Amino acid sequence: MNQFLLQQGISRELQLFSHIIEFALKKNNTIQLNSLHTTATENLRIYYVIDGKFEWIIHEQPHILYPGDVAMILPGQKFGGGKGFLDIGTLSWISIKVNKLEPDENLFPGKWSSLSESEALTIGKILLLSQKPVLVKLKEAGTILENIKTELFKQEIGFTTRVNQLLDELFILITRQLTQQNNSRRDFPQTFMKLEQALRHRLSYQWTVEEMAALVGLGTTAFNEKVKSYTGFSPLNYLINIRISEAIKLLKRPDGNVTDIALDTGFYSSQHFSTTFKKLTGYTPSEFRKNNLPKK
Amino acid sequence: MECVITIELGTNAVRVFAFDLTGNHVASMKGSYPTFHSQPDYSEQDPEQMFITMLYVLKNLLNEKIHPQKHKVTCICFSASMHSVLAVDNNGTPLGNAITWSDNRGKKEAAKLKGSALGKKIYTATGTPIHPMSPLIKIAWFRNNDKERFRKAFKFLSIKSYIIQQLTGEYCTDYSMASATGLMNIHTLNWEHDALNYAGIKTDRLTNLVPVFHSPGKLRKAYQTSLGLPAGVKIIIGSSDGCLATLGAGVWGEGKATITIEDSGAVRVVGKKVLQDEKQRFFNYLLTKNCYVSGGPTNNGGVIFDWFAKQFGDFKNPFDIEHSMDLLINEASKVAVGSEGLLFLPYLLGERAPIWNADARGSYFGLNINHDRQHFIRATIEGILYEIYSIGKTLQEHRTIRSLSINGSFASIPFCAQMIADIFNKPLNVSKHSDSIGLGAFLLSAIEMGIYKNLDEAAKTVVLPDSYKPDRENHAVYNKYFKIFESLSVKLFAEFESIANLQRTETR
Repeated sequence: MNQFLLQQGISRELQLFSHIIEFALKKNNTIQLNSLHTTATENLRIYYVIDGKFEWIIHEQPHILYPGDVAMILPGQKFGGGKGFLDIGTLSWISIKVNKLEPDENLFPGKWSSLSESEALTIGKILLLSQKPVLVKLKEAGTILENIKTELFKQEIGFTTRVNQLLDELFILITRQLTQQNNSRRDFPQTFMKLEQALRHRLSYQWTVEEMAALVGLGTTAFNEKVKSYTGFSPLNYLINIRISEAIKLLKRPDGNVTDIALDTGFYSSQHFSTTFKKLTGYTPSEFRKNNLPKK
Repeated sequence: MECVITIELGTNAVRVFAFDLTGNHVASMKGSYPTFHSQPDYSEQDPEQMFITMLYVLKNLLNEKIHPQKHKVTCICFSASMHSVLAVDNNGTPLGNAITWSDNRGKKEAAKLKGSALGKKIYTATGTPIHPMSPLIKIAWFRNNDKERFRKAFKFLSIKSYIIQQLTGEYCTDYSMASATGLMNIHTLNWEHDALNYAGIKTDRLTNLVPVFHSPGKLRKAYQTSLGLPAGVKIIIGSSDGCLATLGAGVWGEGKATITIEDSGAVRVVGKKVLQDEKQRFFNYLLTKNCYVSGGPTNNGGVIFDWFAKQFGDFKNPFDIEHSMDLLINEASKVAVGSEGLLFLPYLLGERAPIWNADARGSYFGLNINHDRQHFIRATIEGILYEIYSIGKTLQEHRTIRSLSINGSFASIPFCAQMIADIFNKPLNVSKHSDSIGLGAFLLSAIEMGIYKNLDEAAKTVVLPDSYKPDRENHAVYNKYFKIFESLSVKLFAEFESIANLQRTETR
């Protein structure tokens, strides 16, 4: 495998791919001091180790990567060599420009991608929520990068479509691996507990079932069934359950108005909150609050 | 048709059942809630989420299964896991989460009190073993370690008392739940002065004590309306899960014992007298006056087989542990009784009865070169059940046991049921109902409604169809291995302590 370095604005191979900022393969035979400074970029960076052993600091955490391992560095995260230099070995990397969507700064691929909008959002969310930047033994990622290289260099008919498809494939592969690596495929209670924490952590976010299922690493049908049999509720009803419980706690405190409480706990309006709350408890949030505020 | 609703506030979920007045199961639903472990020994639940989950499930059951059929709800009866503690302020608002039975934060307090003369005196008066599970210890922990919460606490409630207060406005605690707090004198049925003194509280920070048949007033109007229930629906405070599982298993009177194995397990007997044990190994919980449910609990029930399946089972589909367990049971059945000399001590979670040693740890013993995977599977199941037997055997120092009734998801697996019969060398019945606790709560309601005269009559109506006979030859084999199991469980005391200490420092 030959070394190469393609850079946006310099390399002709990338002319039709403004979203690919950098794409390279490097064989590092000698240690050169200060050859890998810590950097943070606005792009999503994916590193694949072909040969050797690399000690890196990613997002303030030390990681050791072996052949077949993948590191994913999110926009804004710091990345650098553990000792300031690039270890001996062979690696390939690609740096891709992604959009950030308000208000959650959710990652979203550009127009080049043929992912459906909802799947792209889910993938973006999972990449963003991921606490683990290193994916162990993901040889398929190496194959995809190799194929991208071949397409870029040969430029045969259909190559622009193929390159973008391969990038989509890479995102899907990494997302699937993340959800499977983060969850035991055996212990549903433990996996569900992790999901619970993620939901509570961002209760005001409008979660979809697809996102919840993807976090657990299941398809939506299997996820629905599993949650129903484990909790007795559908995923969205379980979420409502958490929302109302948190709202009750906030209503029992004297501070904060009802509309704020509604939005903080993930209801899209105070009307929606009021209706849901009354259906379940028989009280409107305001009545409930009046009954429960500290007696003077 | 008239029906009775029972609400079981369990360890992981609330289960709501509807029965007709002859005890037939009409409908049921469940809703789970999480347990939070913010620190290693902590085990907490959110009282508001439990309340909302209970309301949600009750409402769904009524709307989907009861109201459309024009059934009339006459009575709602409660049961709950024992030993929970929730501090509330003078407004009834929770001060933080509820602490569950499995919370171990009070282990230092418990260890110190247990060996003392005061500890022994409190155990004799209250019937609850001195253990971190006990609300006595948890309140003492608050006093020593969470002074703010202790000072602000207007009352210390159980989860059940909190939920009943939310629904009706009345603070009360039934004798059953109170008898598991370590704070009530089970002989006089009053709060026990020595225990309260130790915990640092007076009776005004607990609630009134009431019989299990007590009705704490009517449902608040808003809940009547939202649930669509008639104004006259009777609320019955009910009892604890342990007492009701025993009543619902139909085990009443001399010579009988009930074995419950879910995640954890227990062996229980019922009697008119308190079971006084010099070594403080048994609990004595009160169902009604002069009716004591005594026995011993184990931490290491079905949860250990769950662990085994997750580690070593085959998973065809993600998370399909049921299938994985079926395969394991099938493999275990191919191994000879006694696993050809492979023994398993199941103490992965420390142990309560009968050894009461939080430092106890699991172990496979007797391994030789001919043992394979299948032996491990069978030995694991045998080990869990030897532990149940060791509780039963200790109980037999005090009571004669002639027959058994078993319930719970693990115990009622046919392979396990037969093994229990063989190990105990007693005939046994398996409860028809998947939920003996709900049935127990129904029987309590039916007595209160005048359908049955008393507990004896109610318990007799429980049908126990599946019966297993012990195999004497198997028993002889199990018994030989059990003797080694029993001596190992106490012989390793020093090593358990050393390894538990090392594990604590290694994982820090």
